[in-house]
Amino acid sequence: MTPSSVLLNLALSFAGLSALCLAMDRHHRAIFHGSPSRKRARALRWTGWCGIAVSFAAAILTADWNFGPVQWLGSLTGAALVLVGLVSYRPGWVRPAAILALPLAAVAAFLA
Amino acid sequence: MRRGFRQSMAWLHTWSGLVTGWVMFCVFVTGTATYYRTDISLWMRPELRAAAVAPGVAAERGAAYLKVHAPKAVSWFVSLPQEDRPLIGVYWLDSFEAPIRQASLDAETGQPTTARATQGGDFLYRFHYELQMMPMLGRWIVGASALVLLVALVSGIVTHRRIFADFFTFRRDRSAQRGWLDAHNVTGVLALPFHLMITYTGIVTLAFTLMPWGIASAYRGDEMRFYVEAGQTPAWRAAAGRPAEALPLAPLVDRARAEVSEPLEMVIVNNPGDAASTVVAVFEEPKGLAHRHPQVAFEAVSGEVVARLGTLKPAAHAFTSFLGLHEAHFAGPALRGLFFLCGLMGSATIATGLVLWSVARAPKPGLAPGFGLRLVRGLNLGTVLGLPIGIAAFFLANRLLPVALEARAAWEGGAFFAAWGLAALVGFARPHGRTWREMGTVAGLLFLSLPLVGALTTDRGLDFVWFDLAMVAIAAGLGSGAWTLSRYEDVRRTRVARTAQTLARA
Repeated sequence: MTPSSVLLNLALSFAGLSALCLAMDRHHRAIFHGSPSRKRARALRWTGWCGIAVSFAAAILTADWNFGPVQWLGSLTGAALVLVGLVSYRPGWVRPAAILALPLAAVAAFLA
Repeated sequence: MRRGFRQSMAWLHTWSGLVTGWVMFCVFVTGTATYYRTDISLWMRPELRAAAVAPGVAAERGAAYLKVHAPKAVSWFVSLPQEDRPLIGVYWLDSFEAPIRQASLDAETGQPTTARATQGGDFLYRFHYELQMMPMLGRWIVGASALVLLVALVSGIVTHRRIFADFFTFRRDRSAQRGWLDAHNVTGVLALPFHLMITYTGIVTLAFTLMPWGIASAYRGDEMRFYVEAGQTPAWRAAAGRPAEALPLAPLVDRARAEVSEPLEMVIVNNPGDAASTVVAVFEEPKGLAHRHPQVAFEAVSGEVVARLGTLKPAAHAFTSFLGLHEAHFAGPALRGLFFLCGLMGSATIATGLVLWSVARAPKPGLAPGFGLRLVRGLNLGTVLGLPIGIAAFFLANRLLPVALEARAAWEGGAFFAAWGLAALVGFARPHGRTWREMGTVAGLLFLSLPLVGALTTDRGLDFVWFDLAMVAIAAGLGSGAWTLSRYEDVRRTRVARTAQTLARA
């Protein structure tokens, strides 16, 4: 339950949720100016759910079964709020932020 | 059913949300602040600094004070100085029916503290579940509202047709109603696990208040035995009726500390001075979800251990786990921040829901709003902005009232209610969009003034920099929120005016 383990969860949740968000037609069009192909949408959806699953695994590994689920849900909420803010106010930042979240997660995983 | 299931759920969501919204907004805001109760208490007692006093010595200092001031009490409670509360708190019961009495002692001297009298973060904490009313009445109101809120939450989930399709959607460029609905949905859905958890566990916390009959009928007037059998408190030992000299506290406390690794939180002396007196050492919660305190009880005269409490029976363990989840004492700084954020989102869900009710019922241009709408608009202003204004006034009073003022702690509470009442009156007198902007600005400025007033009236340097930053962030949030709100109103007004002009031209 250290700050770095929460950061790891936040970064993974953010990356996963961003992929899920971009898999949706409305948000993909707003951010990339075009609908995603069916293949691309499916790939994004898979990536997104994997990100959330990896985030859950990371929560259990770093904060065990007692606090892990609490931390996982909390970080999903926090990451989703940031994502919705970006989608509404700075849509152009969503993709770079999601990509940036991955090395951040790696650093946090190293510290946690 | 003539109407569809979903429509009837929408009706239920609208009205259950409206009737509990104002009370639950106050409960959510003060509860969210309570995640930082100890930080607030530290800020409100700027004279105090961490004191390194051995727990046994502090316990004896507290007991020495109580021996003089409460020799006939049935129970003494000495709460030991902690990092976040560097005071010895002494509490005593003159009889089981009498209200609990208390004093705060300096940890170094054992004399009544010269720090300013304040309720600290406990004021907001108690408001969170008792609304600063008579305790039972307040708990009943909060408990009943929370039950209705749970209904509003579940019916809201059923009503919301596009939970997944609109998961990331916040359209701020559309109509005011659309914007409010999106804000309501986003804050509600994204933190839904928290909302359900906190409402449900909150009701569980009040379960014995809301449903006292199970224990009352099973234990027939001896409710204490329930807590003993559940493993939450050691058995009460009746007084022998003859005096006897008790052992000094410090060695007993040290023996208890050798058994339990958690920090010692409180020492309780039951029937002090009696031959059958008991000393109970209560420790802090071990790391884990459950809210439970290991305890070691001694016979005060002989020093024999009479009870050890640590593990709980399954039902009690489930109950205390719910309590633990609700209070989140286990959360470190990062997780605590997420709990705080979720609490803010809960407050925002309720506030946007209340505003949405009035926006959706705005009268056609040229028509005067009816009584119901005026009432809701006034209550919305008085609650959503009135409560933050009250909290800011409470903090300001802590810094500005003279330290030696008689009944100072009560005056702080008075400032809270006076400022809130005034704001509510203004809200009722002029329930307009412009008032949102004006009151939001006032609330923002009040919070913004706190770091400044704090720096001018205390000499703690950068000790409270996190508190100050939080105040600035709250000020920014309130200010920008109120401006956004009134901009929506203005947009509608200009649109209405434009339509009127077009009509006039035609």
